Amino acid sequence: MTDASAAIEATDLVKTYRSKEGDVDAVRGVSLTVAHGEIFGFLGPNGAGKSTTVRMLTTLLTITAGSARVAGVEVIDDPDGVRRRIGVALQEAGLDLRQSGRELLTLQCRLFGMSAAEAADRTQELLELVELTEAAERRIQGYSGGMKRRLDLASALVNRPDILFLDEPTTGLDPASRLVIWDEVRRINAQGTTVFLTTQYLEEADQLCGRLAIIDDGRIVSEGTPAALKSQLAARLGPGADPSLDDVFLDATGRTRERVAGEVQEVQA
Amino acid sequence: MRETAILARRALREGLRQPDALMPTLFIPLFFLIVNVGQVAKIFPTGGTPFLHGQNYAAFQLPTSLLTAASFGTAALYLVEEIEGGYFDKLRATPIPRASIVLGRLIAELPKSVIMSSAMILIALPFGVRIRAGLGGYLLLALLIAIWAAVFSGFMQLIALKTRSAAATNSVGFIFFPLLFLTPNFVPRSQLSRPMEIAATLNPVTYIMEAARSLVLDGYDWAALGRGFAVAAAAGVLVLFLSIRTVNRYD
Repeated sequence: MTDASAAIEATDLVKTYRSKEGDVDAVRGVSLTVAHGEIFGFLGPNGAGKSTTVRMLTTLLTITAGSARVAGVEVIDDPDGVRRRIGVALQEAGLDLRQSGRELLTLQCRLFGMSAAEAADRTQELLELVELTEAAERRIQGYSGGMKRRLDLASALVNRPDILFLDEPTTGLDPASRLVIWDEVRRINAQGTTVFLTTQYLEEADQLCGRLAIIDDGRIVSEGTPAALKSQLAARLGPGADPSLDDVFLDATGRTRERVAGEVQEVQA
Repeated sequence: MRETAILARRALREGLRQPDALMPTLFIPLFFLIVNVGQVAKIFPTGGTPFLHGQNYAAFQLPTSLLTAASFGTAALYLVEEIEGGYFDKLRATPIPRASIVLGRLIAELPKSVIMSSAMILIALPFGVRIRAGLGGYLLLALLIAIWAAVFSGFMQLIALKTRSAAATNSVGFIFFPLLFLTPNFVPRSQLSRPMEIAATLNPVTYIMEAARSLVLDGYDWAALGRGFAVAAAAGVLVLFLSIRTVNRYD
């Protein structure tokens, strides 16, 4: 059943990579629905299929099987239509380091079809939004990690998107920069933009997301509001249990703290 | 075309902001010009060498140096840097024809190459090198070399899109050097040994070199120019077709 009112609707999404060693199923049938105006969290361990799912929804990867509607547009049939309605900030802050912040945003505006005057106005607006006005004329090469992330976020907003995809937007940032990004995401969402956020930080999901899904080994293994997921686990664990979102994540992905710690020690050795 | 023009302007700006990346494309061909001329100029004196048409041996070697300068493909290295850094995906997430991402860079190669060729010709002038075909010949020469620069960059961009690796893209660039040596590089084709003459005849770079050389030494040899521009155009169409197909299928 297609939910016409949904901002994002994916049905049995599959991504298979073909290689000399054989086929690799990165995503094995993901179905999810995100309502307009939500901040939806998409969690999972490394290699679970988070980024692959985001890249399919944002038209950057072909879909092997299944279907997806984003902002009311079929991804397979009209990828350009999807691109006009979404903003994308991927895992690596994808920036051209030789340009200045202002040049990068202006170029992005122009690629979305704005005239030179419109692009200049929108660029100024966005620089003010992410508080980079003073650094606007400097080459991006000299920006800090936090500034790069903010600029990347601004570049994802040039077209006033209906839906903003953020793939691990705070990975590698210091705590202060992370809080700044959280504030930006809340502010963007308050203006009516739906946010689809992948993260490895459970605290981030708990703080920001109204609803979330946990993906493991290419399949969604749990979905709901953070509070509902915690109370479901608490009910299963019995009286006195007060699980955190970390516990929910570990439970859903079949991992234990001991196993994760062991994996870390193994890597360190 | 609008997006292509916007991205071409960006590529030009990028080139100007990284002059240290352009310097080797000027100095290495000039180095080869000086070394090659220094080694064999005495064997081919101006007066006693009919194929020089009254010029010195540096004039014969100039087209080789211009072609070398046009065969560095730095645009592809910028592209692979963007693939690795994620900016390429940022561009792919905009509602523009994906072909414009590669076309923008190829178009930017044309003025960059004209600037490089002009600089090399200016440097060669005090050493007695003249372009026999005059100003019009200079313009045709610069255009031919610029088309080759775009073709070679397109070929390198193709490798960049396929391998997504700076190391692989850089290594493949060295393919040009055998192609450059399987040409009438030091003497006209008719004076090569038979196996080398066959190899040079099969090598498309030969015809571009001969067309460029005709402008410097002879004036307007329309047959040579026709062959040179036809080869450059055919290679351009092929590279364009493959690049657009590859970027559209990029996953």
